[in-house]
Amino acid sequence: MIRGVRALIAFALSLACIAVLPGTASATVYAQIEGTGSTWSELIVQQWIADVDANGMKVVYTGGGSTKGRKDFSQDSTDFAISEIPYQGTDERGQADTANGREFAYLPIVAGGTAFTYQLKVGNELVRNLRLSGETIAEIFTNQITSWDDPAISKDNNGRKFPKLPITPVVRSDGSGTTAQFTTWMDHEYPSIWRPYFGQSGLTSYYPKKNGTRMISQAGSDQVMNTIKGFSGNGMIGYVEYSYPINADYPVVKVLNKAGYYVEPTQYNTAVALTKAKINQDKTSQLYLTQILDGVYTNPDPRAYPISSYSYMIIPTGADDPRMSTAKRQTLADFMYYSLCSGQTKAGPYGYSPLPLNLVQAGFDQIAKLEKADPDVDLTDRDVTSCNNPTFDGKHLDKNLLAEIAPQSEACDKVGEGPCGTETGNNDPGAPGDGDTGTGDTGTGDTSSGGPGDGTGSDGGGGPGDAPTAIDPDTGLPVGGDTSATGGDAIYANPTTLVSDRTMDTEAFGWLAALELLALVLVPGLFVAALRRRRPARTGGRP
Amino acid sequence: MRRGIGAVGALLVVLAGLTVGTVPQQAGASPAEPVHRAAAKKDGFTETKTLTRQFVQPDGSTYSFPSHTVTVTADQTENLRGRQRIHITWKGAQPSGGRASNPYGENGLNQEYPVVIMQCRGTDDPSLPVAKQLRPQTCWTASVAQRSQITRSESEAAWTADLDAAPEDKERVSGVDPFPTAEECPTADIAPYYTRLTPFVAANGTTYPACDADHMPPEAAVGAAFPPSELAAFTDTDGTGSVQFEVRSDVENESLGCNTKTACSIVVIPIAGLSCDRPADPMSRADQACRKGGRFTPGSSNFANDGVDQAVSPALWWSASNWKNRFSIPITFGLPPDACDVLDPRAPTGFYGSELLAQAALQWSPAYCLRKDRFKFQLNQISDEAGWNNMEAGIGVAAEVSSEHDRRGTDPVGYAPTAVTGFSIGYQIDKPDNAGEFTNLRLNARLILKLLSQSYVGSDLGRGHPGMVHNPVAIMNDPEFVALNPGLSEISQEVGATVLSLSNSSDVIQQLTDYITQDRDAVDFLHGKKDPWGMVINPEYENLDLPVALWPLLDSYIPETESDCRQKNPSVYFNDLAAPVTTMRKIAEALLDAWPNVQTRCDFDPSTGLYKLGRIDRQSFGSRFMLGIVSLGDAARYGLRSAALETKPGRYVAPNDRSLGAAVALGRQSAKYQPFAIDQADLRKAGNAYPGAMIVYTAARLQNLPQEDADKVADFIRIATTEGQRRGSGNGELPEGFLPIEKKGVTAELYDSAQDVADAIEAQQEPKSHPTDGPSDDTGSGDGVDSPVTPIDPPADPEPSTGQDPSATPSVPPAATPMPATEPVGSTLAGGLLPMLILLGAIGCVVATALRLTLPVLRRRG
Repeated sequence: MIRGVRALIAFALSLACIAVLPGTASATVYAQIEGTGSTWSELIVQQWIADVDANGMKVVYTGGGSTKGRKDFSQDSTDFAISEIPYQGTDERGQADTANGREFAYLPIVAGGTAFTYQLKVGNELVRNLRLSGETIAEIFTNQITSWDDPAISKDNNGRKFPKLPITPVVRSDGSGTTAQFTTWMDHEYPSIWRPYFGQSGLTSYYPKKNGTRMISQAGSDQVMNTIKGFSGNGMIGYVEYSYPINADYPVVKVLNKAGYYVEPTQYNTAVALTKAKINQDKTSQLYLTQILDGVYTNPDPRAYPISSYSYMIIPTGADDPRMSTAKRQTLADFMYYSLCSGQTKAGPYGYSPLPLNLVQAGFDQIAKLEKADPDVDLTDRDVTSCNNPTFDGKHLDKNLLAEIAPQSEACDKVGEGPCGTETGNNDPGAPGDGDTGTGDTGTGDTSSGGPGDGTGSDGGGGPGDAPTAIDPDTGLPVGGDTSATGGDAIYANPTTLVSDRTMDTEAFGWLAALELLALVLVPGLFVAALRRRRPARTGGRP
Repeated sequence: MRRGIGAVGALLVVLAGLTVGTVPQQAGASPAEPVHRAAAKKDGFTETKTLTRQFVQPDGSTYSFPSHTVTVTADQTENLRGRQRIHITWKGAQPSGGRASNPYGENGLNQEYPVVIMQCRGTDDPSLPVAKQLRPQTCWTASVAQRSQITRSESEAAWTADLDAAPEDKERVSGVDPFPTAEECPTADIAPYYTRLTPFVAANGTTYPACDADHMPPEAAVGAAFPPSELAAFTDTDGTGSVQFEVRSDVENESLGCNTKTACSIVVIPIAGLSCDRPADPMSRADQACRKGGRFTPGSSNFANDGVDQAVSPALWWSASNWKNRFSIPITFGLPPDACDVLDPRAPTGFYGSELLAQAALQWSPAYCLRKDRFKFQLNQISDEAGWNNMEAGIGVAAEVSSEHDRRGTDPVGYAPTAVTGFSIGYQIDKPDNAGEFTNLRLNARLILKLLSQSYVGSDLGRGHPGMVHNPVAIMNDPEFVALNPGLSEISQEVGATVLSLSNSSDVIQQLTDYITQDRDAVDFLHGKKDPWGMVINPEYENLDLPVALWPLLDSYIPETESDCRQKNPSVYFNDLAAPVTTMRKIAEALLDAWPNVQTRCDFDPSTGLYKLGRIDRQSFGSRFMLGIVSLGDAARYGLRSAALETKPGRYVAPNDRSLGAAVALGRQSAKYQPFAIDQADLRKAGNAYPGAMIVYTAARLQNLPQEDADKVADFIRIATTEGQRRGSGNGELPEGFLPIEKKGVTAELYDSAQDVADAIEAQQEPKSHPTDGPSDDTGSGDGVDSPVTPIDPPADPEPSTGQDPSATPSVPPAATPMPATEPVGSTLAGGLLPMLILLGAIGCVVATALRLTLPVLRRRG
């Protein structure tokens, strides 16, 4: 009895404590939230987390893969998860993939393109303008195309032949949303290639690896990138979010779209592609706001990057959620408010693509569920009107401004043209002006290569790669017929099959130089010595 | 002819000088002190108590064990911030036994005679109302096992025989009244088993019965982002011990709820063993359990996590005879710094670049957003090169970089010095035999090169690597390392073969590799020369051109092994070992958790039926060993230790104010608005300068930057170099790990240059720079203008940062015509041949001379 009274007093006191807390400068009270999941979106999420620290919000995000994110969330060990795909109910291996009864909602947070980054050297130069069709990519990742000199790759690159070098696909070993996005796309677009390899239909978060192939699996996007970038990475190709190759200054494959253009997953091309994403608009559906990407894969716009998608945050919406409190919900809401608005402005520079406003608006509807669960959550003024979103067009909320201002694809990126000499993987939005279809100098907007248009072999003694009409040393025939669209000096897709630089050369020339040096030092001395020896002989004879 | 002989003689002298090496050695390392040592704080805590374990014997007499007089001290207790670490030490305690591989949370339970340290809400003041007093119910633990004993057999119910316990606490089930129903806690009350619950009372009044994981506060979830901070610490055999205890505010742990209004304490309980009641006749099992004295010898380890004697374990910290032995250290939390309002309508202005500035930017940004007359500053951390490109392309208004970058555009760019900081080789190393943490790591350029170049074989897997058969497995087996850092365990670990580094291009790597190129031994090693103990560089890295901004992964060795898993995942072993990451923050966190990013683990995942590669486990306490490249800001923020690096032979310099200041003093500006290059060769000559010191610049275009942006950048530079250089942990202040840029002293030139660049950025038209102009108007007048190499290294190690000594601030005349940097071109073959040839020539000359002198004599004789 006394204990009860004491408890009551204690409770009242603690309540009083809270009540008399004078408001600190920021009226909102935050508590730390933590989450795990996707490495696809991790790079930008970490920057958002650093940004909101100034607002007094503490957010901890540790990656680990989408599958881990969904699992941790279902086990109540996190406050949010980030995943590329929704809960699957039952995953491809028959394991349960559900929220385990925890109430939740999906919230799109950022868009991006799943990029194919590679290391392919011709001579000693890194190829930076490789183009591949979806079919070729699917065949590479199902071990049907196993060498870089495959005619299909040659065809994608308008006849340019690559060295006879085995292809090593690098895939993810952990449960990954990137893998899920990639396999969804293959399952939709190339079922006849994908399904026999997978042995069933549908997507998978764990990439199937066959014994006896060159395929390598690595945990996390960082490790995939490390492996491909490594010295032994020549011939490797792997899939990661576009931000990773940008960070590493590494090239990405330009992927063929339905309009017949090979495109890079820049923020613009991703935004254009996603204008055809169908978003589940059924608010009663468990999959509300999740994506249906069929239209994205087949988007007829010449700029669209086919393997574009959104990443989702999974937030807990239950009123009696075991982990959530008012302060935590407030942190989650304000973190998302920042991310969906101001945070989207840096999506482009980081290799992602900002969300269009209609999705931001839908996202706010989901955030509102936090207030519904807990009326103490303050969502005042947190809406689209105060949103610093770069895709925003005040009059037409449904339009993606970014998609409209996206630069047109270059003519040299078209099937049967080019390939363009410009480099990929440096997040260059390309020429801002559209309609630049000139055939002379297509190196516009490429600030990283040397002066534009000096591709006429001015760098004396240049390798055969510089001259568009090089002679194939194997056949003795001129190769690479169509070269009208290739200005610039960044032609790396080389028609000759140089395997690597020849160490013999440097060694031989090294010895030659040494010999010359030896001669240079010794010959005068020997000469003088010889002279002198003769002279004493003469003088010695005189006396 | 005589002239010829003289020349030869001179040459020989030079050669002798080169080979013998007459450079005087300067012994002694700089003391490893933090970059900013906080002024001696008045707060702190010391208390001494005498603890005695007692048994009431069957005859009613009392037997007392020898007492322990324990003194506990804490270094700071007031105005704390969340996640701050407090240094707690003790002496006089019972030595511990059975050391766990990890003392934190439930991992630390299987130890004997440890010191339990935890954070509790309330203070230990009986005059306060109960709600403000600390109790076991307000003490935080991250797991059930640490607070409750569920369905124990009698031989595991030692607490029921506790001499000091109240009668109701000796019941079969106890701890909560009324006891939870079987519905709520199905496993709690199962006769004849014993259960003791220690519920947790949250700050909001909610009581969690702690009978299973579902009845614990949300912050106690399995796999929470923050590892537990409470621990059962180890007392060394001499009775002393120390820990860095991390406190949590209500932001990190809402249920515990410590903040500026809610007082809290750190409770330290040296476990001395339960005191026991007069036993039943015959002695019950609980009586026997209570009287046990431990099965591990003092100083021993229990990495196998075997069971321990409950009576001397940390699990019963709440039992009355343990609880009464507590030391309660009252702590207070400071007001949280004012934070920006998320509803602020101003769009943020993004500066892109260096992570070195991250900790400063965190403190600086509120100082902008909280003022209506300022813009909203944001640092977007990205690789230096990408930040630079964004600045040139107009995506960001300015870049934060720490070296000169190549201009790709046509607009001139000014570099304003914004912060002096740098990087370090952070480490987490335990001394063997549970003797505590190693605090005095010293490294030289060759050791760093050995790590970066993957020249240690790592494990048996790497032993097959061609050309490295005789190399040590890891750095702890390298005689060079052992000689430099004696007394460490030489049991090899895979992680000892690598230093966790960056996978991106970074000015930090550029400077680190530049440091390597200035060391003769390291360069020789790079070019294939064996070190004195016979170790050679990994052939894949031999003759690598240094410095580089991006450390390449050059190895391609895939081990041949019987392992099914590795056969199915053929992977380049040394790349998995190195596994560099994208940010230094990740490295700092890996060090903090002692969780190497080594990705060599290969195992079968039953849930997917696949073999896969992944990250190895966290390291065990007592045998931690990890190295990583971290920013000085992160190192200070997370309390990481930094290695002292060799400058002159035998001289090791750790990062601190003095060594950073000495490095800054060596900076040379090539022209107005340009960065101050710190030449690593000068740095080695100076000896007292820290090689990892770096100046972070705000770089912005001097032409064609929109005026609005130009004004913001100029504002930022002026604010950052004035109020942003005041030290402290508040808004707008400079955190630890940075050396303030001041108007006077060693940083005066940086300050002046920053103001000049700010003016130029604001003006947006580059004024004609006259070569005769000094870099600034108000310093360096008169003397020193024509002496570019002012000696600034008096042997007495002056305190440069105090700036009392005007000679420590050499003014540098701008070079009239900045020359483009020349590329060093070299060849080992030629490099080796040249001296040999000269020597050969010299010998030839000598022989010729000798012959010439002797031949006629011989002939005459003949």
